[in-house]
Amino acid sequence: MLEIKNLTKTYKGGKTAVDNLSLTVRAGDIYGFIGHNGAGKTTTIKAVVGIHEYEKGEIRVDGKDVRTQPLACKKVCAYIPDNPDIYEYLTGIQYLNFIADIYQVPGKVREERIRREAEEFGIFPVLGDLVSTYSHGMRQKLVLIGALLHEPKLLILDEPFVGLDPEAALILKGKMHALCERGSAIFFSTHVLEVAEKLCNRIAVISAGKLVAEGATKELTGDKSLEDVFMEVTHHDEAD
Amino acid sequence: MMRQIRLLTKISLYGMFGLNELRFTKDTRKRVKAGFMAVLWLLLIVMLAGYVGLMSFGLVSMGMGQFVPAILGMAVSLLVFFFTVFKAGPVLFDRKVYEKQIAMPVTVRAVIVSRFLSMYITDMLLGLLVLLPGMVVYGVMVRPGLFFWGAGLAAGIFLPLLPMTAASVVGALIAGIASRWRHKNLAAILLTLAFICFIMVGSMGMGGMDESQLNAVAEQVSAVLEAQIRNVYPPAVWVADAMVFGDIGKLVLFLGVSLGSFLLFLEILQHFYVNICTLLSAREARGNYRMKALQAKSLLGTMVERELRHYFSSTVYVVNTLAGEVLMVLMAVAILVLDFQTIEQNIGIPGVVGKALPILLGCIPMMMPMTACSISLEGKQWWMMQTLPVTRRDMVRSKVAVNVLVALPFYLVSEVLVLIALRPGWADAVCLLAVPAVYIVFGARLGLAVNELLPLMEWESEVRVVKQSASSMVSMLAIMVTAVVPIMILMTVPGISSYLVYGVLTAVLVLGTWGMNLGNKGR
Repeated sequence: MLEIKNLTKTYKGGKTAVDNLSLTVRAGDIYGFIGHNGAGKTTTIKAVVGIHEYEKGEIRVDGKDVRTQPLACKKVCAYIPDNPDIYEYLTGIQYLNFIADIYQVPGKVREERIRREAEEFGIFPVLGDLVSTYSHGMRQKLVLIGALLHEPKLLILDEPFVGLDPEAALILKGKMHALCERGSAIFFSTHVLEVAEKLCNRIAVISAGKLVAEGATKELTGDKSLEDVFMEVTHHDEAD
Repeated sequence: MMRQIRLLTKISLYGMFGLNELRFTKDTRKRVKAGFMAVLWLLLIVMLAGYVGLMSFGLVSMGMGQFVPAILGMAVSLLVFFFTVFKAGPVLFDRKVYEKQIAMPVTVRAVIVSRFLSMYITDMLLGLLVLLPGMVVYGVMVRPGLFFWGAGLAAGIFLPLLPMTAASVVGALIAGIASRWRHKNLAAILLTLAFICFIMVGSMGMGGMDESQLNAVAEQVSAVLEAQIRNVYPPAVWVADAMVFGDIGKLVLFLGVSLGSFLLFLEILQHFYVNICTLLSAREARGNYRMKALQAKSLLGTMVERELRHYFSSTVYVVNTLAGEVLMVLMAVAILVLDFQTIEQNIGIPGVVGKALPILLGCIPMMMPMTACSISLEGKQWWMMQTLPVTRRDMVRSKVAVNVLVALPFYLVSEVLVLIALRPGWADAVCLLAVPAVYIVFGARLGLAVNELLPLMEWESEVRVVKQSASSMVSMLAIMVTAVVPIMILMTVPGISSYLVYGVLTAVLVLGTWGMNLGNKGR
């Protein structure tokens, strides 16, 4: 579903944020992407979703190149950023209706999905209020609902659990599992290693822009915790 | 408290014009753009200095040198007032900045003064740019005493205080009234636009300097000039008396009135400031949503709807960009009720309405196209346009369509009024209808093209994007060039067919719009 080959991204000023990174996320995968602050997680994600240009490498979503067929890639994707900066001048329902229009979700379908998801996340009563009145967590939930409206084949999340209350985090984990069971793939970055270990079937560790470990969660950790593995591979990389 | 004011002003100035970002950025493209803008600013400053210097030279040569300081003083004050009145409210009562600063151990007085100062410094520089060239010309030609320069320096520093205080009073009143309404933004927009209309209609009554007055004997002109300036803005005459005649009393009067009015404003505002900010930042949350039938719209329809909601959510954006459309209607009303000569006196260019009305009607609403800021104002939410499945073409079409939609009612009203007033023949009617229509579409597309080239995505206050961004300035200059060139041709080339000029202009604008859209394809 997502194939990254030899991705290299250098910022203006010369800093190489991602260095020759390759990974593959298959349908049904919940793929965790972990690393220190500034390791290159968000840069990689932003290159995948079309925010960042990149110099070298290839990114394919559902077999299509994000450079040459960006629209086709975006149609099957949904992206949730680490900071839910969304249109504050819209009400919650206007925002969701806008997203549904963009992804061409039929009227009846969107009604049913919005009602179901908003009730589950507990923000249905405030959908008529302006987004500017929402808390950080409520905005996060609204972005999540918007992302799930068109049943994306690939859901990309950047630090999705930051700002969510425990109940919402639990609901989100359930949604991620359900989406993957229906054949979609999920690629997300996180700092919370316990969540990654329990939730993901595959994990990649990035350090200083380079992929330092990758594989099935169980194979990667073996009899160690993910925390131990993470410390080992990232510090080993620093020692090199 | 001085320390608090200094720190808050410093932080505020860091955000202005992006100077701090420029200081630390490693992005060479940003530096190149800043260099380009600096050259542009320098060019404008040289042009302004040249214009003021020549005007001063002319007045001194005609034996009316004593009016140079008064005219410059009035020009600076009017410039500062109009430059500030559109931004005073949004800057003084900026919700986001208020929420950040009020949590810090600073006094309300310090917050107000720091915001006022951040505007004041830019206005003072603008004032000095106008005042200095005229003063130098007068100083070299008349050789006044040392007091002239001392009083001139005091004028340069303190001239913006009174008009800025007046503009801030207007801003505070509008914010205060709007804060009590449910639709605060709409109330602020309507009140500000009503104020612009009031000022513009009022200024029509004042009249300008007409040709007969200028051609009259110098003494009569002097008397008329002095009376006009005294009527419009007496403090300019006080400054002039201090500079030309060394009248210390007038200087003290000017400084006393300027400082006194500011301190009085500060004293009154600090009692209401927190209340107004709280009311302005208060958002109604009902929490009682009931699901209604959701209609699916087309991609363009939904994007246009979002753009319109975005546009009308920002007072500073609407007021600054819609002022042109309001002026267009006011001009049409003036054409209906006044004669061309009176309007031309107010514009200050004799014969321009009679010879180039379609161009004036077209370029006035597009002097500040809303599209010139529409990408920049996406700000932190730009990631959505980047990641949603919409093409650049969809974005361009929606933004241009919104600009045209907003301008359309003003265009229609203006055209109806002008056609009723002039009852033109079919050829003139076609020119009156077609040239402004083409201008509106061209201006909207040009603004967006410039904003794509010169975006400003990271900002704290919308004022920075709307009032201080490179995109706004370049768009305005580009539209001015497209208007000034044909107007100059119409006014200076004897016997030239106006239909030919309008025809060529329309063709150029259509080709320009088409050319910009070509650049759209395939990206």
